[in-house]
Amino acid sequence: MGSPLLFIACGDSFDEPNNEKVKGGELFVNFPASAIKLELLGKGLIDENRTVYGYKAYKIPYTTTNEEGNEVDVSGLLVLPIGLPSIVNSTLGLSMVSDGHGAIFKNSEAPSVIADETGAPSGSSVLFTSLGGFATLQSDYIGFGDSKNDYHPFLLKKSSADTTIDFIEQVKIFSKENNITLNNQLFLTGYSEGGYTTMATLQKIEEENELFVSMAIPMAGPYALESVVDGVLSQPKLEVPSFIANIGYAYVQSHDQELRLVINEPYASTLPILLNGDINRSEIDSKLTKITTGEKGLFVSKFVNDYFTKDTHWFKNAMRTNSVHAWKANTPIRLLHCKKDEIIPYSISELTEITMNAMGARDVKLISVEETLGMKTEAGHIGCGTLAYSLATTLFATVRKETIGY
Amino acid sequence: MKKILVLSSITSSLVVGGAYKIPEQSLNSMALGAAYIAHTSGGDTAYFNPANMAFMEEKQFLELGVTWAHLPRNKFEGFQAYSATEISFANNHSEVENFQLPFLHYVANSMNNFRWGMSLIVPGGLTKRWNSGHQKVFAEEFTLKTIELNPVLSYKVSNNFAFAGGLRFIYSEGVVNSDGGKIKPIKREMKGKTFEVGYNLAVSYKPTTDINMAVTYRSNIDLEEEGDANLYLFDVGRQYSANVTVPLPATLSFAVSKTWQKKYTFELNYEKTYWSKYDTLMFAYGEPIQPLLVSSFNDPKLKNWKDSDTFRVGVTAKLTPFVTLMAGYSKDESPINRKYLSYELPDSNANIYSLGVRIKANENLSYGVAYLHDKKDAFSLKAGENENGVIGKFSEGGANLLTVGMGYTF
Repeated sequence: MGSPLLFIACGDSFDEPNNEKVKGGELFVNFPASAIKLELLGKGLIDENRTVYGYKAYKIPYTTTNEEGNEVDVSGLLVLPIGLPSIVNSTLGLSMVSDGHGAIFKNSEAPSVIADETGAPSGSSVLFTSLGGFATLQSDYIGFGDSKNDYHPFLLKKSSADTTIDFIEQVKIFSKENNITLNNQLFLTGYSEGGYTTMATLQKIEEENELFVSMAIPMAGPYALESVVDGVLSQPKLEVPSFIANIGYAYVQSHDQELRLVINEPYASTLPILLNGDINRSEIDSKLTKITTGEKGLFVSKFVNDYFTKDTHWFKNAMRTNSVHAWKANTPIRLLHCKKDEIIPYSISELTEITMNAMGARDVKLISVEETLGMKTEAGHIGCGTLAYSLATTLFATVRKETIGY
Repeated sequence: MKKILVLSSITSSLVVGGAYKIPEQSLNSMALGAAYIAHTSGGDTAYFNPANMAFMEEKQFLELGVTWAHLPRNKFEGFQAYSATEISFANNHSEVENFQLPFLHYVANSMNNFRWGMSLIVPGGLTKRWNSGHQKVFAEEFTLKTIELNPVLSYKVSNNFAFAGGLRFIYSEGVVNSDGGKIKPIKREMKGKTFEVGYNLAVSYKPTTDINMAVTYRSNIDLEEEGDANLYLFDVGRQYSANVTVPLPATLSFAVSKTWQKKYTFELNYEKTYWSKYDTLMFAYGEPIQPLLVSSFNDPKLKNWKDSDTFRVGVTAKLTPFVTLMAGYSKDESPINRKYLSYELPDSNANIYSLGVRIKANENLSYGVAYLHDKKDAFSLKAGENENGVIGKFSEGGANLLTVGMGYTF
């Protein structure tokens, strides 16, 4: 058939992509199981007999409350498995894993942004969803995704918990509106900053008693903030200056302090730009000094001195208030950590296990990832991530099998 | 997003030699197979050789009409190789296409030794579609629409020498779709447009009253197509702003004509098209596209086209004061480098045959009809010969064009 070609200009409008329509979200990724299996086989991560599920990821916008108590529009990623036995969709429902991502600096590293920009499965959700068959929930956190223009409340307890809990609630609404069957079984996990967020979230959930968590697996998180910061500020050199600078910046913002009284110039002036979500960690590190304090250091000498000498110093109080390692949890908790972690020392998890058990927590256990997996070598903070997530997937699947039946 | 490879291919083919080129933009030019530069007569002189306007009678000339273009299907028999181990049967044929191309030309009265004219034409237009198979992965649809407004001005230096120049205002729109279907989980929908300006020059010399010589030149115009693209991966699409620049290459023509007894005219044309400017096709997007789509939609595509030669001959016979017969033949060389050929333009060398008649109704009005047949050579690509994995034989294709037109003087 032909197309007439005349002196007629085409219209200006160009249709949006004809994607699957959902209420309250947007489909970003839709990979069939075959494609994912091929990829995982190619990387030697699974064998031919391993069951692999398809992967559908939706960006879901929602509203949460920031550290100052104001409403903020944020976003998260919901990843659903495709191809589970029909009884799961019709009767049993999907179990949820809320997975807090680790510390990121560039907006393009946020879960929903990765999904949008790559259109492909990524990270821990592949393990939880395509291999584990869970619905995976990943908040972008305040400061990333739809709230890129806000500062990221790094390791701040209240907003870390609110952001995660509000996303869980929004996912329930989204699922109901789009005929997705969830079973209300909820697992919490996260690595590094996500480990901290997991613990903060669980504590708030237990306080409010509105959700029920079957098991939480915080991984390699800086739960005991005061101990972590004491350790960092007492060293002459900073291993990764961006992390502690990010803490300083977030706490200054949330506690209405002056940045120049905490961070030396020229870093005080450049930090808001370095942390605006456009720059990755290694680039930020290259623009910061590794000297902890002093005239040429990152932190103002008086600030560090006051922190160590004045027990009522605002930053010390904030570290204590925002630590998440000392409370009595009723939910089973498995703390996963690699012993060779050079960023968040293994001892932080040891301290957390001892403290929580001493306070009467019902079931808190520290698990060495290397020992459990029978590894002959120990892993560092970065290398441990995938190993820890694999182990968490297995642990959650075991609980689900015992309780839900699949 | 960016306009596409397809667009460029189409444009090129339209404008100069190649599968669907349509240099014939009037009744006479269609009847003579575009061997119509040295010896021009009506309002279409403004387009084919504006220098000749200087020698036209002292009155106004108007020429208008329409061409119906029928593009038969391209047949492919062979295989598509995606890699050394992924080779599939790929026998298929493209869709038949039909479209219409209007034209309007005007030459004004002279003012001293100056004379102006203008043409409004569709220098190219194509819809090429493969609705199934492996070809759809690469070229589900390629559509190009162009409109050119070409005002020109001539200057008569002497009674046997004149030159002219003009501006070319070109507006074009393109559509490029490809769909991997069940073969590849990728799809694209693209739409773009551009407005560009170029120029043309012409020189005419009449050494004797029965011999005309002419040289014409049309400048290269880079069509920077800008628009949007929806790129899909596993049925999930994302929209990007996009652009791609493709050349509308420069063309240089030499023409000579000889007339006997004021009745019979023979014209010989040689046309050089500078297609070598089209060496790479590269699309740019407003932001990085998804990594898994880069190799298909973002990596530069080598073209390495070559300059092409076209030879044309035309014969005009005024049988009576009222009836003029015309016929033409052209040997048209394809500029495409077969190493980088793809389904959107499986072009090859062509033999072009044409004929037509013009009837003079009265002192002011004439009309006529012309037909042109563009016959493409079949060709084959052996394994390893084509970078896009095309292995097999292309045949059929070509074009059939029918023009009706009328001229009016006042």
